[in-house]
Amino acid sequence: MRRSPAFEIFRYAAIALALALTLLPILWMVSMAFKPIPEWSATGADLTWIPRAPTLDNFRFVFGQSTSDLIVALERTAWRPILASLLSAVFGTVIAMVCGTAAAYGLSRFGSGKNLPLALIQLRLFPPMAVMIPVMIMWAFLGLIDTWWGLALIYGIVTLPFAFWLMKTFFDEMPREIEEAALVEGCSRFRVFMKITLPVMRAPLASSALLVFILNWSDYLIALLLTTKNWVTIPVYMASLSSSMTGQLYGAKAALGLLAAIPPVILGIAIQKHLVRGLTFGALKQ
Amino acid sequence: MSATETLPGAAEAAPRTIPPVDRESRRLGFRLTLPTQLLVLFIAGFPLLMQLYISLTDWSPLDGVGWWKAWESWNSFANYTDLLEDRRWWGALWRTFIIMLVCVPAEFLLALGLATLFMDDFPGKRIFYSILLMPMMVVPAVAGYMFFMLFQSGGPFNGILSALSGMDIKIAWLSDPTLALVAVMIADIWQWTPLMFLILLAGLVGVPEDQLKAATLLGANWRQRFFTIMLPRIKTIMVIALAIRVIEIFKIFDTLYIMTGGGPGVATETISVYIYKVTTQDLIWGYVAAIALVILIALSVLAVFAMKRMEAAKNGGRA
Repeated sequence: MRRSPAFEIFRYAAIALALALTLLPILWMVSMAFKPIPEWSATGADLTWIPRAPTLDNFRFVFGQSTSDLIVALERTAWRPILASLLSAVFGTVIAMVCGTAAAYGLSRFGSGKNLPLALIQLRLFPPMAVMIPVMIMWAFLGLIDTWWGLALIYGIVTLPFAFWLMKTFFDEMPREIEEAALVEGCSRFRVFMKITLPVMRAPLASSALLVFILNWSDYLIALLLTTKNWVTIPVYMASLSSSMTGQLYGAKAALGLLAAIPPVILGIAIQKHLVRGLTFGALKQ
Repeated sequence: MSATETLPGAAEAAPRTIPPVDRESRRLGFRLTLPTQLLVLFIAGFPLLMQLYISLTDWSPLDGVGWWKAWESWNSFANYTDLLEDRRWWGALWRTFIIMLVCVPAEFLLALGLATLFMDDFPGKRIFYSILLMPMMVVPAVAGYMFFMLFQSGGPFNGILSALSGMDIKIAWLSDPTLALVAVMIADIWQWTPLMFLILLAGLVGVPEDQLKAATLLGANWRQRFFTIMLPRIKTIMVIALAIRVIEIFKIFDTLYIMTGGGPGVATETISVYIYKVTTQDLIWGYVAAIALVILIALSVLAVFAMKRMEAAKNGGRA
C-alpha cells in the first residue's frame, strides 16, 4: 500500500519517540554499570548519561576483585549466583520441554490427557505466591530448599503450561501426511514421533525451548522464597547487594543487572521470527 | 483457539481421524502424557489438600511443630472470616485492580497504534522492531532496578523533567504514595507494551492483503479499512493479548517489589506483595493458606467459565 509523505513523517516521528522511551531506561543502566563511585549518585548538573571516567571496576567488584575505590569485601561473588541461574533455568527448561512436548503430542495425535489443557491453564493462571506455602513445606521435606535442582524442578512445573500449549498448537497445525507415510511403511508410532515428528519440528522446538528458558531465567519471586544462601540466583543476589556500610551499590548492581539482562535479550532477538510464527501459528494460516 | 480462525482447513480436519486411534496409539498417548499428569498431580493434588488443612488453623512454622500437627491450633473458619475484615487485604486487591485498569488499556492502545505503523514495509523496520521488543526480554527484577534508579529524586527522570521545564525538579517519586504507584505503572507499561505489540502486529500481518486491496479499490478509506476489516479479523488475538496481560498484572510482583518493596507504607502493596510479606515477615502461614485458597478457587471458577465460553464460541462458529 502506498502512503502519503505526511504519513511517513508521522510514522518515523512516532517510532523515534517509541524507540527513545524504550531505550532510555536500558541506556541509563548501561551507563551506570561503567560509572565510578563518585558518579553513582551525582545529581543536578553533574548528572551525566555518559560516564565521565568510564571504568570496569563495577564488574571487577561483583566478581570479587578488590578495586581501589570499592574496599568493601563482598561476602559472595557473582560467580555462584550466575551458576545457580544457569543450572536451574537450563534444567527447568529440560523438564518443561520434555514433559510438555510429549504430553502435547499425546493429546494432539491420540486424544490422551484431555484434562491437561484446562489443568495447565489453571496452573498458569495462579499467582505463584498463592501456591508457595505447600511448595515451601514440600521442598523442605524433600531437602530441596536452597538447591539448584529444587529450583529447576519448580521452574519446570511453572513453565510446563507454556511448553505444552506452544507445542500443542504446533502439533495441531503440522500436516499429518509425513507421519502417515511413515506409518504406512511400517514404523511404530513411537518411532514416527521420535524419528519423523521431532526432527521436522526442530525450529518450533528450539524457539519454544528458548522462550521457556527466558521465562525461567527471569524468575525472581520463586528463587527469593526457595533459596537462602548457597544457590541464590542472579536477581536475588542483585537485590541483596547493598550493605549498611556502602548504602546502595548503584554501579555494582547495574553491572550485574546488565549481565543478567544480556542473555535473554540476545536469545529473544534470535528467536523473534520463530516467536511470532509460534504465537500466530493458527491465526496466520489462511 | 486461534485454530478456529483457519476457517476452511479446520472444518475438514476435525472429523478426520486417519488412521483410527488403535490400542497401540492409546497406550502411547497415555505414556506420553503421564509425566505431565504426574507433575500436575504433584503440584496441585496434595498441596491443595495441605493448604486446605492448614488454612483452618493458626499454624506458623515458628510453632515448632510439623504442619501435620497443625490441628493443635485449630480455629475452624476464623482465617476466612478474618479475611473479610482485613483492610490490608482489600487494599491490596483494590490496588492490584487499579494497576490493571490503568496499565492494560494503556498497553493495548499504545501497542495497537504502534502495530498499525508496522504493518507494511519501510526502511529500518526490522531493526526498529527488534529494539522495540527488547523491554519484554529484560529480566523483570532488573527492569525494577532500572526504574528504581530512574525515579530517584536526583535521578535521570527528574533530570529530564528539569531540562524540559527549565526548573530544578526534585520529586521523590518512590517515597510519595501516589507517585510511587504511578512509577510502578510506568515501569509495567514500559516492559509489557512490547508483548502486546508483538501479538497484535502478528495478528494484523495475518489480515489478508487482498481483502484490504479490494476494500481500497471499492473506495474504503483508512479508518473504514481499520474498523471493518482489520479489527474484526484480529478479535481473537486481541482477546488473547488482553487476557494475558490481565492475568500477569494480577500476579505482579518482581518489578514492583524491587522498586518500592510495596511501600511507602502499603501504597504499592499488591496481592502478591501482601501475601509475600505475611509469608516471610508475619509468618502466619495458616492465614496465608486461607488467602491463597480463596484466590485459587476464584481463579479456577473464572478459568472454567472462560474455557466454557471459548468452547461455546468455537462450536457456535463451526455450526
